Amino acid sequence: MWGYREVRTSTVDYFDIIRGGAGEGFADSIFKVQDGDGKLLSMRGEVTTQVARMLASKAKNEGRIFYIANCIRFLEAKTLSQREFWQAGAELVGGREVEADAEVIALTLGALETLGLKEASVDVGNVELFKVLSERFSIGATEPLRKALASKSVGDLSNVTTDQKALDALSFIMKKRGGPEVLRELSEIVEGLEKYTSYFDELYRLLEAHGCAGRISVDLTTLREMKYYNGTVFDVFVSGIGVPVGGGGRYDTMMKEFGLDNARATGFAVSIDLCVRALDAAGFDFDGARGATRILYKDGFSEKAIFFASELRRKGVTCMVDAYGGEMDGILVSGEITDIRTGRKISA
Amino acid sequence: MKSLIIAVPNKGRLMQPARDLLDHAGLKRLKDDRVYLSNTTSAGVQILMVRATDIPVYVYHGIADLGITGRDIVAETGLEVYELADLPFGNCNLVVAVKRESAYKLPTELASGSKIATEFPNLTRQYFTDNGVQVEVITLRGAVEIAPILGLADAITDLSVTGKTLEKNGLRPIGRIMESTARLICNKVSYKTKYDMIKKIEEGLKGCS
Repeated sequence: MWGYREVRTSTVDYFDIIRGGAGEGFADSIFKVQDGDGKLLSMRGEVTTQVARMLASKAKNEGRIFYIANCIRFLEAKTLSQREFWQAGAELVGGREVEADAEVIALTLGALETLGLKEASVDVGNVELFKVLSERFSIGATEPLRKALASKSVGDLSNVTTDQKALDALSFIMKKRGGPEVLRELSEIVEGLEKYTSYFDELYRLLEAHGCAGRISVDLTTLREMKYYNGTVFDVFVSGIGVPVGGGGRYDTMMKEFGLDNARATGFAVSIDLCVRALDAAGFDFDGARGATRILYKDGFSEKAIFFASELRRKGVTCMVDAYGGEMDGILVSGEITDIRTGRKISA
Repeated sequence: MKSLIIAVPNKGRLMQPARDLLDHAGLKRLKDDRVYLSNTTSAGVQILMVRATDIPVYVYHGIADLGITGRDIVAETGLEVYELADLPFGNCNLVVAVKRESAYKLPTELASGSKIATEFPNLTRQYFTDNGVQVEVITLRGAVEIAPILGLADAITDLSVTGKTLEKNGLRPIGRIMESTARLICNKVSYKTKYDMIKKIEEGLKGCS
């Protein structure tokens, strides 16, 4: 309904290219194999880098793309419980920045809604703003700062900076979660953030038009794990499971890495495994056999049963054919066709 | 109405102060101590009594929404949770200690290949790697202080409040890995999906502490 085109990416790719796009940290977490000529290949660990390179190699700086793919990574840091997991996602390349960001966030919520996860919500942050603030406050050690923000641990800020204004601004970021007013209030502590204030105001107005502003919060500690993001980033939550089901953000600089200097790109990915867990927690019924009509045949009547089942399926009834073994429920096919429970005859 | 679970230590030095804090904040348990999961005087809030070391695990997976445990324990598990408040109890240091008569003055002087006994293998390994010393880490479940005297290890890392236990076992601290206090931790998704309820409890606990 959004006009995105499906792509299939390769299971293996040149390691150097993936490392160039996704960064060192991520490169450490993916499986490597050797090609016939000794070149290092990597197994697919995520899809965005592959899509970005694919578009860049075709010199395409516009497009709407989606994918569903299995990815494998090392089991590390307890954040993954299995090496292999399924990801579904979409990438929007081109377009005006804020409109594209709003579309991708709305699309994420729309996709989850279609699955039955209607309560999903999104927290938005901005990686560029994080960089601007660390430069403004001359914080060279950005990793300890990122960690402190990620754990909302105000006490850990004292290891990062002693500047009182920086401490005020950063602890405000940790504590405050809300609408676009978060940016306006932050602007009262730190000057020169007009660009971000108006960006978030506009993002909210656009999300309002998409019909999902009520499910969006600004939490500037949202920074995402992948290093290739350079603008708006977001995490997606559903109640019932303890970790975000997915997220996404803007990665223009990775497009640049692949040679498309002026390209704009944003996207999202959700873990299908986590969505299944969330649906399970919400009581969704995954049993395809439930509600199916059982067609049971006595010896010598299997063809008749199969013929009868085919007729039913054409009418849209889900049914399974099995040999009769004394079941108390279902339709029995022998000389006649009868409903076992009621004993009523059914005409074929 | 949404319900919320707070995990609290059922043993150890953090148990009593954590329970007192919750009592003061109007979150009194309604069942006796042998019941691990109990309703409280506050509607919709339950208290889960489990081991302090397991609390980050319950919170990370979202089984408990909030938890009270030591910063050292959260750091050791490496699990990502929010640390919403630094609570005014459970102060201690994770220190490196050696036998009193040994010549070492700093952890960096320990010989390469030294054996370190600890209940905190991850923090210990990280600390020595960061300081460029290769060590062999031996994980124990308790009474770590006895390891050097018995010859199991060359040094230990352990929590120390006053330093008395170290002293009584013939040990001397030579360095600090981290300072710890009790923390109010929170699951990252619960924080978003039960925001108002969690903010209220956070404010309540901060007000009483």
